[in-house]
Amino acid sequence: MKTKKVASVLGLLTALFFPGIALAQTDPGVRSNTGVNAGQPLASVTANANDLAFFQTGLAQFNEHQTVTGDNPGLGPRFNLDSCGACHSQPAPGGTSPASGIFPNVGPNPQSQVIANGVVNGSTNPIPYFVLANGPVREARFPFFFDQFGNPNPNAPNGGVEDLFTVSGRADSGACSLQQPSFNAARATNNIIFRIPTPTFGAGLMANIDDSTLLANHAAQAHNGVGISGTFNHNGSDGTISRFGWKAQSKSLMIFAGEAYNVEMGISNELFTQDRPLPGEDQLGSGLPASCLNLAGIGYPEDVTHSDGTSASTVTSDVGLFNTFMQFLDQPTPSTTSPGGATSIANGRRLFSAVGCAICHTPSLTTQPSKLTAGLGNATANLFSDIEIHHMGATLADNVSQGGAGGDQFRTAPLWGLGQRIFFLHDGRCSNLLCAIEAHRSNGGEATTVEAIFDQILTSSQQQDILNFLRSL
Amino acid sequence: MYTKFSISLVLLALSVSLLARAQSAPQSGGDFSDNPQARKLPREAILVKGAWWGASDSVTALPEGGRMANNVYANPYFGLAYTLSPDWTEKYTGPPPSDSGYYVLAQIRPAETFKGTSRGTILITAQDLFFTLTPAGNALELINYTKDNLNTEYKVEQPPTLVRIASHSFVRFEYVSPVAELHWYLLATQIRCHMVQFVFTSRDTKLLESLIREMNKMSLPEEAGPISGRGGGDVPVCIKDYASGESIRERVDPVFAERRFNPVPVRIIIDKEGKVKHVHFVSAFPDQAKAITDALLQWRFRPYLRDGKPVEVETGIMFGRAPRQPTSSAAEAVNE
Repeated sequence: MKTKKVASVLGLLTALFFPGIALAQTDPGVRSNTGVNAGQPLASVTANANDLAFFQTGLAQFNEHQTVTGDNPGLGPRFNLDSCGACHSQPAPGGTSPASGIFPNVGPNPQSQVIANGVVNGSTNPIPYFVLANGPVREARFPFFFDQFGNPNPNAPNGGVEDLFTVSGRADSGACSLQQPSFNAARATNNIIFRIPTPTFGAGLMANIDDSTLLANHAAQAHNGVGISGTFNHNGSDGTISRFGWKAQSKSLMIFAGEAYNVEMGISNELFTQDRPLPGEDQLGSGLPASCLNLAGIGYPEDVTHSDGTSASTVTSDVGLFNTFMQFLDQPTPSTTSPGGATSIANGRRLFSAVGCAICHTPSLTTQPSKLTAGLGNATANLFSDIEIHHMGATLADNVSQGGAGGDQFRTAPLWGLGQRIFFLHDGRCSNLLCAIEAHRSNGGEATTVEAIFDQILTSSQQQDILNFLRSL
Repeated sequence: MYTKFSISLVLLALSVSLLARAQSAPQSGGDFSDNPQARKLPREAILVKGAWWGASDSVTALPEGGRMANNVYANPYFGLAYTLSPDWTEKYTGPPPSDSGYYVLAQIRPAETFKGTSRGTILITAQDLFFTLTPAGNALELINYTKDNLNTEYKVEQPPTLVRIASHSFVRFEYVSPVAELHWYLLATQIRCHMVQFVFTSRDTKLLESLIREMNKMSLPEEAGPISGRGGGDVPVCIKDYASGESIRERVDPVFAERRFNPVPVRIIIDKEGKVKHVHFVSAFPDQAKAITDALLQWRFRPYLRDGKPVEVETGIMFGRAPRQPTSSAAEAVNE
């Protein structure tokens, strides 16, 4: 009798509770049943032997591990990692932060492995607290310089990258002795923010959208019923629309690659020609010490165009090869059926537009004619971005200004390839789509009303359709 | 005596040591702080602003200066007071005005105490008609433009129609998203050459109708109307492009220290003597705001006469990047 009563109660609870669970919307997670959806060259590149050779050489260079001296010299004296491809690897080279155990299981956060892999000396370079094996690859920035008492000074904006590691203690670093920035002190004063790698699939298409197309889209989205406005970041030299990076601060992929090679790996090149000190060392101090300069012993810049090369791909500098590799990477391939089935995905796509998400996350834009390769010309770039910068409000503000973008303004993150991304938002704080959507509501943010419609007015089923659609990308 | 002297020496040495430690230059320029007692920065605060709003004085009311308090959204600039039922609240403030003169004045949603079964949102916005990107010269034209450029996911439920709300003329427009089963009811009027718009969104049309009925408790300035709304009375008359041509007697161009490429929309109020008495930066970097203020305060205008008497004028000037021009001559409709 007692057992029957318990069973009845359990049955009742199950009936009441589990249907709720079943109906509740959930992020389907990284899409794993349709293969890797990105990382391939454009079809027009594959069809041209020379272009394909360029792409393959670029890919190899992208994945190459650099050292201070030796065959691949120039690493450091400060850096975040020793290879482009280590950070940009999910779900394929060119992508973003990997994680172990998540499709396609690229591996643990490579920054967490630098001591084990011998990239840094553990006694001089402890792993910073924010680098976790199952967390995202990160770069760190201090929004403000510290004053002489160790207080962050709101009147002295910094915002530059504070490289995580130094070459100090490596066998090939000579007498160079550098200290890591005080990440713990920055943490204690809330004076630290993070950025994760932006995926570069389809980047050549983004580069090939004319300003007039972007401006026309901007005007067409004005006077929406959900409170969205937005503006563009501009290149400081010629005033045209810039478009790469989390705040659309970089004008071209070449600049983006040159800066990353210098900032993230410490390799001087033809665009950024010196070894890079930390912002404090450069702007408030006296630069890098002489013992840490020209560590490779080859002079500057460490990466150059090779006049002794025998083919286009061997003449080209590393930065030029990175640029070509990214230009030729095709856009990710969405699924029409997974997750959730074709009907749910199609419905989610329409709902995404209906509630206002597509005002910023513009589904597609058309490129201009291309001299580089046919696939980049007059093509439909399904990027889900307007390439504008928008106020995201206090919750997401990182208080870093880049070009015309202020502390809470970010470029609309392109959503192509979202189905196989693990970490979301500029700092990788979310690994669940619902967390990322929720972060769109904030004091001072443009997307608050759209988020409220998603969160408070749509049914669970409609929300699930949008989540399925997003994971289909 | 000796002991006291020794203690004093020790204390002195300790003080000097602490002082020296506190004032010693940090390593390599300041990225190596190790002060455990350091001040914390506030979390979730926008401390570094890009182009932002501002004004030459803190007394004159601004469009973005409205506030929601005690269930009333009050905006002194627009002379607007909108009382809602107690179970509606503003949880999050809006973004700063855009560089095309678009304002999110309030974002209102059901409070925790809301007892209804259907939910919705209320969005109050304004568009400065001097700086709009669209070819529209008044609120009615702007709503018509919205209707003509609706996303393909929406269907018109009721085309723009003139209605009376709180004894003032509004334009009302309704559309629906069939896939989302969501309805948008827009009500707009014009005040001081801005389209002031109320956007109600819900799945429940009864809720929307009840919210619109509540709008009748709203107080508005006499000028409000979808094709009128050009100031006057207790506020300056607003005139598009008054800061051009024959109206200007003296003009000094701002000297910008840094080359930027953002549009800088500025509203000014010209007093009865033709001097600039107030400058409102809808969107500007601080250095731009200072250079423009320094210049504008030297401008002199011909006093604007209405019925033979000088009156204050409010107008707009776009500095910085040249604005995209509306493609219709209807934009001149806000000229007197």
